[in-house]
Amino acid sequence: MNTQASAPKVMKETKNKIRVDFERTDFWTRFRLKYLSLKFLTTVVWVIFRFVLLVGISYVILSPLISKIFCSFMGKEDFVDVTVKYIAKYPTLDTYKALIVEAKYFTAVFNTACLSLFCALVQTFICCVVAYGFAKFKFKFNNLLFFLVIFTMVVPHETLQLSMFMKFRYFDILGLFKLLGGGVFENFAVTNFTSINLLNTYWPLAILSLGGLGFKNGLYIYMLRQFFRGVPDELEESAYLDGSGVFRTFIQIILPLSVPMLITVFLFSFSWQWTDMFYIDLFFTKSSITMMPDIVMIPRSLNTSYAGQSMFEAAITNTSSLLIIAPLVIMYLFCQRYLIGGIERSGIVG
Amino acid sequence: MNKQITANAAPKKRKKKIASLDKRKARAGWWFIMPFLATFVIVYLPIIIDSIKFSVSKLTMLAGGGYITEYVGFENYRQALFVDENFGQIVVAGVKQLIFDIPAIVIFSLFMAVLLNQKMLGRALFRAIFFIPVIIGTGIVEYIDKSNTMLSYMTDSSSSIDNGSGGVSANESLAMAANLDWLFGNMRVGGELMDYVVDIIANVYDIISRSGVQMLIFLAGLQSISPAIYESCQIDGAAAWETFWKITFPMISPMILVNAIYTVIDSFTRSSNSVMMYIDGIYQEVGGPVLSSAMSWIYFVIVLVLIGVVAGLISGYVFYQRRD
Repeated sequence: MNTQASAPKVMKETKNKIRVDFERTDFWTRFRLKYLSLKFLTTVVWVIFRFVLLVGISYVILSPLISKIFCSFMGKEDFVDVTVKYIAKYPTLDTYKALIVEAKYFTAVFNTACLSLFCALVQTFICCVVAYGFAKFKFKFNNLLFFLVIFTMVVPHETLQLSMFMKFRYFDILGLFKLLGGGVFENFAVTNFTSINLLNTYWPLAILSLGGLGFKNGLYIYMLRQFFRGVPDELEESAYLDGSGVFRTFIQIILPLSVPMLITVFLFSFSWQWTDMFYIDLFFTKSSITMMPDIVMIPRSLNTSYAGQSMFEAAITNTSSLLIIAPLVIMYLFCQRYLIGGIERSGIVG
Repeated sequence: MNKQITANAAPKKRKKKIASLDKRKARAGWWFIMPFLATFVIVYLPIIIDSIKFSVSKLTMLAGGGYITEYVGFENYRQALFVDENFGQIVVAGVKQLIFDIPAIVIFSLFMAVLLNQKMLGRALFRAIFFIPVIIGTGIVEYIDKSNTMLSYMTDSSSSIDNGSGGVSANESLAMAANLDWLFGNMRVGGELMDYVVDIIANVYDIISRSGVQMLIFLAGLQSISPAIYESCQIDGAAAWETFWKITFPMISPMILVNAIYTVIDSFTRSSNSVMMYIDGIYQEVGGPVLSSAMSWIYFVIVLVLIGVVAGLISGYVFYQRRD
């Protein structure tokens, strides 16, 4: 400071304060150096370009959603009106009313919420346990068994469609029931009992969830395993030294540590179970338990035979898809920062 | 280390009873993976074996409940490959489409992850929007969107009256509006490349909605790169462009491998896939279930081969930072 070429001029000096006037470079030079350089120009161009790009892509993502929302309020006259694009001329809530009443929307929401919540909770916990086992313990065939997890991820659903249906239609554990050949009371008569029909119950999905074999569970196990690998071993070792057992360490040290990651997995499994169609179609016959796929229908009270029939029916289907995702969107609004924060902390490394 | 201490500290009599720490940990490890392993062996493995068994047999449902299978050898496979005229074509088209989609999805998601990782105004909002397709764009919603004539009408300004055919998709018209054909024609870069780029732009919504998880994985990877590396690079005077290719790209390359494989798995197993839809259609037909399982086993083998090829190709270029 003191060695500067032009020493600062002392303007005013009191006991506590000192006011010094520096010789500043004049405004124009500062302006030129700061704003008229190539670097500043590229920064500005880049910021604008980035902003436009992000807004554009956001538009592409949101536009189907927005147009669906606008369409859901249209009456049937609007679909033949050339001048109507977004804002309806005959706005109506009939589509919503009809879907909610006729398709038993709230029953479907309740059933699906129960199922999804149960599956998501169980899957999150089981995947967490299994992933911890794979990540932190060295035992024989560790890698080989992990390959099985990857295998469950790679096999297409359709491959197992038939046999999964058969398995749960005639459920039997390793031929045990058949072997016992036990009887069961049905209409006051003992019938030959060899297997249980688990269709139209929550059991098939519960069993698959309990084994970490549900929808996309391989991915969750993989994600959590990568996360646990990043947790330093010293943490557990110090817990062991203090006399804590393996399971206690897991519950008291590791689980609280991995809450953000668990929320991420929970969100994934909840929302994917919510919109899942494959398992629901497979395990639930129509008109047994009202699930989300059942509300995709054309309500009879809406008279669709009009000039723009196919448009109107498409709009009704879209409205039902809006109704399906509405609870999810509300949940996402509250939880999205956990989703992104959790996965960022996971440090997934190939 | 621990093993030695245990062995020395324990009295000789009890030496046999106390298992070493490693052994105890190994046993605990088995307990941890037990839920998965038990269910896999008891439920999942029989399902897989059954599926293979069904694919080589003829299925007859009995009226009183129950079913009988009759071994017919590779009849179903023969039918899938040589009799059914559509299956082969659809699979080839699907695989071809996928091979074009992998680079597009991986590059797009990497680019977007790099963008969303930068500090800027409204970053949280953009991130929230970008991951909406991950949450809601699957399963039934995707299925509805796939068979949708509505959206094409809504965003397409040229056609206004329902003509019943569904018309061109909105994004296709976007590509037309930009007159890409003319642009690329003047650049004299081969028709195939032009078709490829036009195709990507036409399917931009599809690509975006399928790259959500990949974006998340890339973001996680970008976060794990130490800022110290960037700092030293900046001090040495590297520009952003060089920093990306010399630092970010090698550091993120393991994630590229993971994402490429995930893209293959995800595209092949999602229900909106054309092959999946075809197999699903076959399943509904009379005598279709066994045929559909034969078809999907063929499909599975193709997936495995493709994953092997992709992994083999990319893993040669992956850079692993030596940790510790």
